[in-house]
Amino acid sequence: MKTKLAMVIDSSTCIDCKGCMAACKVENKVPAGHWRNWIKRPEANFIAMEKAAGTAGGHFQPGNCMHCDTPTCVQACPTGATYKDEKDGTVQVNDELCIGCGSCIPACPYGARYRHPQKKIVDKCDFCEHRRLRGDLPACVVTCPTKARVFGDINDPKSDAARLLKQNKTTRVIHPESDTEPNIYYLNATAPMDWPVKAKIPTPIQLWGNVAKPLVWALVGINALGVLAMLGKQFILPDDDNQENDQREGQQ
Amino acid sequence: MNGRMIKRHSKLSIFLHWFNAASWMFLLATGIGLIKNPDLQPLGMWWTHLMWGLFGSGENLLLGHIIGGIIWAGVFLIYAILGIKQVAQFLREIFSYSPVRDFMWLVKKGVQMTLGTRALKKLGEMLEKRGASPEIAAPRIPEQGFYNVGQKLFAVPSVFGGIVIAVSGIIMALSNVYFTNTAIVRWAILIHFITVGLVFAGLLIHIYMAAIAAGERPAFISMFTGNVPEDYARHHHRLWYEEVKEG
Amino acid sequence: MSLTADKPISRRSFLKWTGAATAASVTAAQAPVLHALVPEKKAGAPAKVENRFSVCDMCLNKCGLIARVEDGVVTKLDPNPKFLKSRGMLCARGNAGIDQLYDPDRLKYPLLRKGQRGEGKWQRLSWDQALDHAAEQFTKIAEKYTRCGVLFTPGSDMQSTFVRWFAEVFGSYNVTTHESSCLLSRNRAYLDTFGEVPFSDILHTKYLIMAGANRFEALITPDSIDLMTAKKNGCKLVVLDPRYTKTAALADEWYAIRPGTDMAFFMALAHVIIGEKLYDQAYAAEKLYGVEQLGEHVKQYSPEWAEGECEIPAKEIRRIARELAAAAPAAIIYPGRRTSDYVNSTQIRRAMAIVNGLLGNWDQPGGLLAARQVGLSGPELPDSPFYEDNPDDRADHGRAHMMFDEEGSFKHMRDAIIEQKPYPVKGWFAYKINPLQSVANRNKTLQMIENLDFILTVDIAMSDTAWMSDLVLPAPSYLERQDPASGLQGSSACACVVTRDPVVPALFESKPVFWIFKELAKRLDLAEYFDFTIEEYRKQQLKKLPDGERALREDGVYYNPSKLYGVYEGRVYKTLSKKIELYNKRYADMGVDPMPIYRAPRRKPSGKFRMVVGRNAYFTHCTSQNNALLHEFMPENTLWINPKAAKRLGIRDGYMVEITSKAGKGVLKANLKEGIREDTVYMLSGFGVLSQGLTNIYGKGACMAEILEDYADEISGNMAMHETFVKVIRKGA
Repeated sequence: MKTKLAMVIDSSTCIDCKGCMAACKVENKVPAGHWRNWIKRPEANFIAMEKAAGTAGGHFQPGNCMHCDTPTCVQACPTGATYKDEKDGTVQVNDELCIGCGSCIPACPYGARYRHPQKKIVDKCDFCEHRRLRGDLPACVVTCPTKARVFGDINDPKSDAARLLKQNKTTRVIHPESDTEPNIYYLNATAPMDWPVKAKIPTPIQLWGNVAKPLVWALVGINALGVLAMLGKQFILPDDDNQENDQREGQQ
Repeated sequence: MNGRMIKRHSKLSIFLHWFNAASWMFLLATGIGLIKNPDLQPLGMWWTHLMWGLFGSGENLLLGHIIGGIIWAGVFLIYAILGIKQVAQFLREIFSYSPVRDFMWLVKKGVQMTLGTRALKKLGEMLEKRGASPEIAAPRIPEQGFYNVGQKLFAVPSVFGGIVIAVSGIIMALSNVYFTNTAIVRWAILIHFITVGLVFAGLLIHIYMAAIAAGERPAFISMFTGNVPEDYARHHHRLWYEEVKEG
Repeated sequence: MSLTADKPISRRSFLKWTGAATAASVTAAQAPVLHALVPEKKAGAPAKVENRFSVCDMCLNKCGLIARVEDGVVTKLDPNPKFLKSRGMLCARGNAGIDQLYDPDRLKYPLLRKGQRGEGKWQRLSWDQALDHAAEQFTKIAEKYTRCGVLFTPGSDMQSTFVRWFAEVFGSYNVTTHESSCLLSRNRAYLDTFGEVPFSDILHTKYLIMAGANRFEALITPDSIDLMTAKKNGCKLVVLDPRYTKTAALADEWYAIRPGTDMAFFMALAHVIIGEKLYDQAYAAEKLYGVEQLGEHVKQYSPEWAEGECEIPAKEIRRIARELAAAAPAAIIYPGRRTSDYVNSTQIRRAMAIVNGLLGNWDQPGGLLAARQVGLSGPELPDSPFYEDNPDDRADHGRAHMMFDEEGSFKHMRDAIIEQKPYPVKGWFAYKINPLQSVANRNKTLQMIENLDFILTVDIAMSDTAWMSDLVLPAPSYLERQDPASGLQGSSACACVVTRDPVVPALFESKPVFWIFKELAKRLDLAEYFDFTIEEYRKQQLKKLPDGERALREDGVYYNPSKLYGVYEGRVYKTLSKKIELYNKRYADMGVDPMPIYRAPRRKPSGKFRMVVGRNAYFTHCTSQNNALLHEFMPENTLWINPKAAKRLGIRDGYMVEITSKAGKGVLKANLKEGIREDTVYMLSGFGVLSQGLTNIYGKGACMAEILEDYADEISGNMAMHETFVKVIRKGA
């Protein structure tokens, strides 16, 4: 079976130490002001805590690019610089092909992408590809104190990630109007659940597909029809009807 | 008919025309090949895969397209600076119109090219019956200058379009070098695509008219030799012919 | 992110080269921008990569790490997977160690003060000039005020042992450590109950009460990690904290206890456990001393009474006591670490230690553990000289009942220096310590500084203490150092030895403090006492561990498979009664309460707040706030204040507020938090710095040390930092 790299996260063991964010930042030289990964937390319910003395109910949710199966970011990209890698199921960005138009950025429901201020192309989690190539796990996975993140090939039944998926109930964080089939699975339950936004394909890209492409086709089509008509007349109608006659006439 | 030839295009014009044509072919092919999004690809993904395959990778294709674009725009920019006199002359020519005469030419030539001379005559008779002047009704195609109005009407969007395509192309090429505002890049992508599409639509007519249409053979040859037969010039570009004869 | 290997030409570099051509036509004026691009990886040979062991120094845990060095540049610090104490992890600070190494603000050369202290005007000296000057100054002070006229304050570091050694051979008794702003009251309490300071076997415990400790933010290995594992395995965590910390958030039960009333809660637990006979009576007879006295004593401390003090419902206290006892002996009242809170801090911890005693958890799985044998030997050093003219004792002697002589008390020492009693102390050698930010009452520390003739600070950054010094010497970061071996206690994870060898050569002119002492010793006629190398020193330390050197070299750590449980089998406790003392005989003899007697915390004046102190997981105390990476997590500190209390003062979230106490004041942003009591406020340490050499944080936030008034624990002299009441007013929107 084809490799499908994904993450299974037990967010109930996350202590929001920011280790994964720091490790990723160093490993991938993420510029100041931007992050490739994050930790979200729901608002604490202090009213409930006041009512029932002793309840705590805190939770932290680590996350990063979900390497979705139907990624809207890929849908928004004009050059194919961002693509779903069939070899391992990850969503990648080809730095050499990306022209930094940023169309993919609002197209991600998770805000996983940012435009690198110096490189001026888009950047996001790539599951630490360079580490994987040398046999290491992603930096965030390795550094975590509670090993909340489990990374692996969920199509390989022997991998820890696959086993966790099989043996546990999992949930994914999905916006109701933008189910991109994310590949980060949270064990049992997680919170917050309502933070992703609706994927927005930028207007120029939408216009291109919905308006410009059919418009250009129509214009080309009309002109092509015109050419066909002229061609038809040139090769089908009899000789005395062509311009040579007219020339001779004009001369007289 | 005499066999005399008049010079119509300088060697530089000839070079620029074919340079433009070749560049356009290359840039069109590679540019469409760069559209890897099935929603946006006008031809179909097979073209993209073909071009990727030819160039080895998407980034090579992009690099090729940009290099091609820079050479194309660069050559014309240099020409615009160094040959400002010829450029001004060219622009003057393609922007000068006589509305009534040119409109008549368009209609009559259009009918003649698609439906034939007989149909043109019939049309003239019909119009005369309704009170049109003999001038208008006659199947004779109105006189034209160095360029006929059809050629002018293709040249104008080609020039504007070319500038828009070059500028939007430069914006895209520099997008990961200079720009912080990406909205301008996204719109540049769309405008680049639409403009190319529009000019391409006109290009189809141009190629037919210039290279395939029967009576245009001398014009096509002149794009290689630089010369047209006198008769051809007198018939198709009378106003220019008169000027040349005087000078 | 690119899939492709290095290419001879990339689009970006192509555009860079042709940039001039295209730019000229479009953006002639912007040409310089096109050339200021991100440096490209050079095409051709791949980087030379080496992986080197070290142990982290971003906090005291010393987690084992593997540094990745590419072409001589450290590019990543990864956890050493074989490091059991850290369970193979490296936290945010550990990862940010690279930003300490390559900190643009770090000290580079020896600096001598020009102008007034605190003006920030420096003159660069050569090392010879600097060391000559220091030796001269120390000699002058020694001659005029005896050798005890110089105070030595070593920070928590693997080379701090050399500070102590130098102080010893130089002849000063006045060595004060950071510990008197931290854990001395806890140590005192546990020493005086169990005879030694224990570690917690959190991994195997089933019930844990954490009062005032915040293990999911104030990371201690393996405790913080094992706590989560234990929870997953069904351990119940009860947290008492006036603040909804991350530990409180992840606890099974959290109570916003009234600050300073912990003793009431724990004495009430003892009341229930003894009253309902929930303890192992056979165990008590054999191992506990003073159960009857305690039983009598705690009769007055019922849960109902305790509720009135600590504001935790009596029925919960009773239930918790029962659950705790049922889980015993795999149940722990967590001893904590930083216990520098109240003037009766030692007695508060005595109460907690007493409950631990009743639970019978000493030396048991899931209970309190004795120190494990590590196996390092003391180095063979010559006898230190004796200085006849020296005074009898430390300058802070006698100011607290039972001060630890090797640690002292910074608060008391400071008072002694200001008062110049019992004798003047005029010199200060500070190593990797920053009392101007870490100790309560900054203005008093500044007053102390005024009384000093010569201050020398060795540090890696221009901390506030360095900023106010006369001579500042640049030290290398841990990644540039060779250190002696150090033993670490990892409770049920391990007992291990760690060491350091340079990952990269020392940058700029930084020199380790060991070398500084060697050089000073030469100039002070003490060369014979520093006539060794770190390697030789280390060899002596490892002499009883034949596999030590190999393990350190190949694994980055040496494990001593020493006994974990049952260490005290057949042994007596190091107390007067030779048992676990619920009733402390020695205290009674000294006039100190032999069993904790509850005293309510000082009453909070109306309209004011009690300030409490705490940590987070991305800064270490008052260091690393300026670290380029960590700084992004929190660019400035804010004042946690309850929304109801804030509303009464007209304060909205984000407003600037001014906070004043008897010691000083500060201005910072208000951070409205429902998760803090209405009578309490909190701010993080390390901001509001004086030093302009900390460019990321200078001018940001307020200084906690300036606001805290200086109280001390009566018994140990440990700083008491939760006794300060503050006024908060709105400064502006």
